[in-house]
Amino acid sequence: MDKKFPPTVHLALTLAWFLVALHMIFLYAPEEMTMGEVQRIFYIHVPSAWTALTGFIIIFFASLVYLRKKSRLADQVAHATAEVGFIFCTGVLITGPLWAKPVWGIWWTWDARLTLTFLLWLLYIAYLMLRSYLINPGRAANLCAVVGVIGFIDVIIDYMAIRWWRTQHPQPVILGGPGSGIDPRMLATLLVSWGAFLCLFFYLLRQRLALGQAQSELREMRRNLALASSEN
Amino acid sequence: MVNTYLALAYSFLWLLFMIYAWSLSRRQAKLRKEIEELKTKIQQATTSSSTPPQR
Repeated sequence: MDKKFPPTVHLALTLAWFLVALHMIFLYAPEEMTMGEVQRIFYIHVPSAWTALTGFIIIFFASLVYLRKKSRLADQVAHATAEVGFIFCTGVLITGPLWAKPVWGIWWTWDARLTLTFLLWLLYIAYLMLRSYLINPGRAANLCAVVGVIGFIDVIIDYMAIRWWRTQHPQPVILGGPGSGIDPRMLATLLVSWGAFLCLFFYLLRQRLALGQAQSELREMRRNLALASSEN
Repeated sequence: MVNTYLALAYSFLWLLFMIYAWSLSRRQAKLRKEIEELKTKIQQATTSSSTPPQR
């Protein structure tokens, strides 16, 4: 993939996409009537959230593949995605309160959507902690795959929370049923912004995967060196 | 004037992404250096083991 789509081209595409997204956010999308300018946080908050959820969906499928086939690549993908997804989930928890304070008058409330997103962030942390604390790599991969599969339940409930219950968090603006929806220019801006976030997500993911592969290479070489030393 | 919360949200998010991208490239550079050092060590070890003992 590196030859067909080099990382430098991927990075250039991501930056260009973000320039287009920022142009649309600040110059194309109309100002929201009640919230005013602060509503433009929406264009980074929602894409961060969707990307964090996408990350856990990837972890779920990679974990299933690992549990079924014991594929090392699937395990590496799940591990790398957990680290990158955690960054995006942290982004949601930073931008959310910064939007909530001027609009709701509070930084945080324990409503269903917010609590489940916080739980998703904790799941990402649990996954990464298991990885770093368990010395046996096979055992770590197995346990993390189980966390990846069980944690997916939170993704489903988190996504459906604002559809199932009345929450302080706004109701869905996309695929929310009758009565929901936003200005077409806002929707276009949101989708372009999400595209830029996904492009960044996959750029960071391939960099993190390269790092994981280099770590495996290093472990292999250490083993070879130890063998060569013992033979001498 | 730009809304303070809006400016803070965008700044914090970009800062977060930049710090993570920087930490990734730093870890990659460190690993590459370690791999190069180990390659040299392995080469030395294999050379010394393949050299016949002097009589």
